Amino acid sequence: MSTVILSNVRRLYGATTALDDVSLTAPEARVLALLGPSGSGKSTIMRLIAGLEPLDAGEVRIGDDLVSKPGHTTPAETRRIGMVFQDYALFPHLNAGANVAFGLDKLGRAERDARALAWLDRVGLKHRAHAFPHELSGGEQQRVALARALAPAPRAVLLDEPFSGLDPVLRAELRDATLATLAEARTTTLFVTHDAEDALQVADRLAILKAGRVLQEAPPREAYDNPASLDAAAALGPINRFDGRVENGAVATPFGPVAAPHLTHGAEASVGVRAEAIALRRGATARVRDVRPHGAHDLVRIEAQGIVWRALVPARMTLGETVDVEIAPTGAFAFAR
Amino acid sequence: MTTASTIVQLKRALRLDGVALAAALALAICVAPALAVLGLSLRPIEGVDFGAALLRDGAMGTALLMLAGGAGAIICGAGAAWLVSLCAFPGRGPLAWLLVLPLAAPSYILAFSYTSLTWAGGLIPYRVEGFWGAAFIYTIGLYPYVYLAARAAFVSQSSCAIEAARMLGAKPADVFWRVALPLARPAIAAGGALACMEIAADYGAAQHFGLTTLSTAIFRAWYAHGSTDAALQIAAVLLLAAIAFLLAERWARGNASYAGGSTRWRPLPRYQLAPIAGWLATTFCVALIVLGALLPLAWLGRLALLHSNVEDIAAPFVNSIVLAGAGALVTLALAAAIAVAARRAGAIGKAALAGASMGYAAPGAVIAMGALAIFAMAREAGWVGGLSTGLALVALLWTYAARFASAGVQPIDAGLARLSKGLDASARTLGAGPWRRFLRVDLPIAAPSLAAAALILFVEILKELPATLILRPFNFDTLAVKANAYASDERLLEAALPSLLIFVAGLLPILLLTRGIAAARAGSR
Repeated sequence: MSTVILSNVRRLYGATTALDDVSLTAPEARVLALLGPSGSGKSTIMRLIAGLEPLDAGEVRIGDDLVSKPGHTTPAETRRIGMVFQDYALFPHLNAGANVAFGLDKLGRAERDARALAWLDRVGLKHRAHAFPHELSGGEQQRVALARALAPAPRAVLLDEPFSGLDPVLRAELRDATLATLAEARTTTLFVTHDAEDALQVADRLAILKAGRVLQEAPPREAYDNPASLDAAAALGPINRFDGRVENGAVATPFGPVAAPHLTHGAEASVGVRAEAIALRRGATARVRDVRPHGAHDLVRIEAQGIVWRALVPARMTLGETVDVEIAPTGAFAFAR
Repeated sequence: MTTASTIVQLKRALRLDGVALAAALALAICVAPALAVLGLSLRPIEGVDFGAALLRDGAMGTALLMLAGGAGAIICGAGAAWLVSLCAFPGRGPLAWLLVLPLAAPSYILAFSYTSLTWAGGLIPYRVEGFWGAAFIYTIGLYPYVYLAARAAFVSQSSCAIEAARMLGAKPADVFWRVALPLARPAIAAGGALACMEIAADYGAAQHFGLTTLSTAIFRAWYAHGSTDAALQIAAVLLLAAIAFLLAERWARGNASYAGGSTRWRPLPRYQLAPIAGWLATTFCVALIVLGALLPLAWLGRLALLHSNVEDIAAPFVNSIVLAGAGALVTLALAAAIAVAARRAGAIGKAALAGASMGYAAPGAVIAMGALAIFAMAREAGWVGGLSTGLALVALLWTYAARFASAGVQPIDAGLARLSKGLDASARTLGAGPWRRFLRVDLPIAAPSLAAAALILFVEILKELPATLILRPFNFDTLAVKANAYASDERLLEAALPSLLIFVAGLLPILLLTRGIAAARAGSR
């Protein structure tokens, strides 16, 4: 197991900049989640670490090894980095056992088969060793792909949206099982996802990406509670935005003040308030415009002075009702504009 | 930007490596004969007065045959495609794939068997001969080109469009004329263009029926009048016509994509035909299959049993196998280089693909005349001697490669499509170097497609007649040459066995491909 470190990495595709000055650390034996929308550069980071692409500036280190720098890319086949691809990329002409054994070719035949079978057993698929990929369900394919990536004891393993093709129930189940397997193997893991829930639940550390840049790198709780920017806040859940001026250490919104003690009096500020940081009770500040059930909560649209915010609240509201709004300070942020 | 980095970028853009060089070589091999024909045809011809008349008669003959045979193929092919894709009637399932069987026999084999079927001692009292005989042969032999294109178009039509039309009150006939047919029209046009290309390229059937077409005119100018220049000029006109139809086919196929409004796929709602209409539909499809394949096949089989001239056919049989085998290997290598280069979407790959299509469109007689001209020029330059047996075989293999490389590219490309970038990347992250990736991943996955491509090329070359006639070494007979020689001597009984062998060989790739399509559907290995 090794730490994976990217320093000031830049990657260009023709005229477009896919990654710009990206620095990241995937700590040894921990899970680093890369969260961002498509086009944010997450998959490019994966491919750079795997050695499938060269970089244009900066460097990539795995442990003490400098594996990528401009003009030099240690080829993927000698890096000892495991990867689970988004479409799993199982070899269609090999059965599950042979797929897992593919990376173990330096071992003798007997040991190779035993190791492959042991890994299939660890993901609960020993009985499917002779099945071909097209005979496996989506979840089974994902588990074979994970076993195949981990079997050669890689220095780190990369998971590229590994749960995106699965239905929600299976997804949660498989996510937990995958985490358990990874923790047991004590593998340095990079996990790419565009799903905030996946990222928050899986990650020991979280890197939020947008348009080829890292917006924030922090433990999940810290990233949620102390976002580095409005965009970083928005990546982890729906936020309500408001632009205003700082007066006496706070920005007055139509729904109530948001504290901004770090900003100077009179400065222009952007405010973000998480939908789940809003509490409603009967009053006169705002009017309920829309109510939608959202599991145990309701997603409520409230309007004041022509501005509409969304609130995720446990209380049952009725349409047209007027309410007072309470903003929890842990979910409200102000940034200089 | 520095010069050095510009050069690096240029090299990256062109990807000048082994694959690109191989594709460039393939491109040169494919287009050189055609270019030679076009270039040499521009020379003024001295002392020839029959050329213009022959050219005019040939062009007229080819155009009329395309009109009659092409129309017949379109009506039969599109009609059958509509029936099997959008209607339900007895026997629809097996008929749907049996309808491609006539592709097995080249037109000249059908022509030979129909002559013996309808002349003295034959089964049918109506003679198949002359212009309408040829039009009939082209109709029953070439309708599968239209059928396949139209069926693909009908099947891929969004069921939503047809259901919407039905819900708006359209009756079956209305649905056909107002929705299904307009949506499939580009595909039908593309299939019709393919059929017309085949009609233009045909030499054996037209010659057999004594017609003057551009293909037969090439031979007449060359053999009867001894004028290579006139033959080249006629070949150039034929080549331009073929290229025009190739472009028409591409253009029509490009338009075919507007059918896919919805990506959702459901089994098409089929009209249950009333009993009488249903049996009429069955009869129509069965008639096409019987006329285009089963009847001539059975008749040739009967004649071959009556007169099994095995000892006469032994040497041509061996020659055919060796020539087609060698030709298939050479062509496969070329096609593989083109397919791999084309996957990279570089300029060289695109050019090689276009060059190969041009070779495929060009009739065999044209390519052969081009190859002949190239070797004649090489002799004048003192690079090679006369057209010895060895050299003639090289010229013949070259012609086959130029003519059929494109036919090999498609199946190989289908195999390459199964090699996703993800597979390559995952093999790399699992520590596999280039050789291991090639041997353990690329080759096993692509092997079935390579085998299919090899079989298709083998059979195409086995069936090829005009180029083989022009370039074969002295006294070197193949099955096709022998069948043609017997038929032109009106020894149809003796022509039956070589014709039958070619026919049966032609069935192999068709059976393979229909099975392959069924297997691919089921998602099995």
